[in-house]
Amino acid sequence: MGKDQRNTNAVSSMIAVNFSEMKISSNPVETLVAFSIGSGIGMTIHDPVGGVGGVLNFILPDSTKANGSNPAKTPYMFADTGITAFLKALFEQGAKAENLKVVIAGAAHVLDQTGVFNIGQKNLEALKTCLDGYDIKIHHEASGGTQSRTISLEIGSGASIIKIFGQEEEKV
Amino acid sequence: MTNLNGIVEQINLLEPIPAIASQIMTKSEDPDSSLAEIADLIIKDPALTANLLKICNSAYFGLPRKVESVKGAVAWLGLDQIVELVLTNSVSGKFNKGLEGYGLGEGELWRHAVTSAHVAKSLAHRYGASQNKHLIYTAALLKDIGKLILGRFVAFSFEKINILVHSQGYSFNDAEKNVIGMNHEELGAMVGEKWSFSEKLIYIIRHHHLTDESARQDLETTLIYLADIICMMMGICSGTDGLSYRFYSDVLKRINVSEKDLQAIIAETSENQQKIEHLLKLF
Repeated sequence: MGKDQRNTNAVSSMIAVNFSEMKISSNPVETLVAFSIGSGIGMTIHDPVGGVGGVLNFILPDSTKANGSNPAKTPYMFADTGITAFLKALFEQGAKAENLKVVIAGAAHVLDQTGVFNIGQKNLEALKTCLDGYDIKIHHEASGGTQSRTISLEIGSGASIIKIFGQEEEKV
Repeated sequence: MTNLNGIVEQINLLEPIPAIASQIMTKSEDPDSSLAEIADLIIKDPALTANLLKICNSAYFGLPRKVESVKGAVAWLGLDQIVELVLTNSVSGKFNKGLEGYGLGEGELWRHAVTSAHVAKSLAHRYGASQNKHLIYTAALLKDIGKLILGRFVAFSFEKINILVHSQGYSFNDAEKNVIGMNHEELGAMVGEKWSFSEKLIYIIRHHHLTDESARQDLETTLIYLADIICMMMGICSGTDGLSYRFYSDVLKRINVSEKDLQAIIAETSENQQKIEHLLKLF
């Protein structure tokens, strides 16, 4: 969680992507961050050729399964509607499917949370099914376990950074 | 193991919540007490009244005209909302600080507490515990009060706790107990005793991770547990403990929460989060 923190005078600026949100940028000084991801998934996609990238922070696998919510209003809450809209927005900004570098972090679970209640696992399966449909591969995956993660994307370098509290960060 | 007396002594150093807040808490937990009695209590405290009116007149509520009395505030917002605001206001100062050991920055425990209280209130409506909605709201808000004291001890023993959790399959609260000799639920319950919370509120704080099997039969404790789990899954200000608590699927089945329900509650919480962010700014 967190607020937008834009500082136009700074050398670099950090922009938070809260859960159920997606943000895209082609500004090389910007870093997009999805903080504290639990069983949801923070997904960074970058096209180094087009110099565009974005972060999607979804929390549920299937827009048809959450009674009472309106996926048309909150497409980025779900893997199915979120990833589709995320890719569409990237393609509109000139990104090409064959260039995309995809990094994902999240899909954690509570201890002993198995079977139907393991939403993290379901999020991961939904994401993979969706990406398979576009024939897009995952470059790096940090998923499962019981720790929350933070993932960020540096638009300039295209690097994704995954952090877990008390551990060294992974830069890919 | 740490000297437990040293930890327990810290309870005395924690500034208690105002007497008026505990009186309102006690009244609001009692389904037999009338709303008018609670309003009377608020009116008798000028500082609380002034603060409450300031909150009610903020842009958040968008009232068509300025409210100048508790009666007016109750008329516009309803007494349930007023009680909730008073309870939230009375503990905000304690929870708003950062918390070493649990890796929480300033305001993060507070965001978690208020969000889980709102989730718990919604669960109370869904699962037939509306008559105890104030108790459930308060308990969800205060369940982690033990972390305020235990935080620095967790920081001191963090590596040992971390090894138990990530190499030996311990839950974070079991690891606290093993390494420090006490976990944040037990310590929170002791704070509740010291501050004369109701027995039920103390019970919920002591058992909110449902480690004790008997607590899994208690509807109110179960709802607070579930609200906490949902916040963990959503990553709402989870810190070093992350999602390292036990999941009891039988408990969900017993109160009839399906997988679809769980997803619907998560979706609802996500949709309400913007509103909660605005609410947090009022305190």
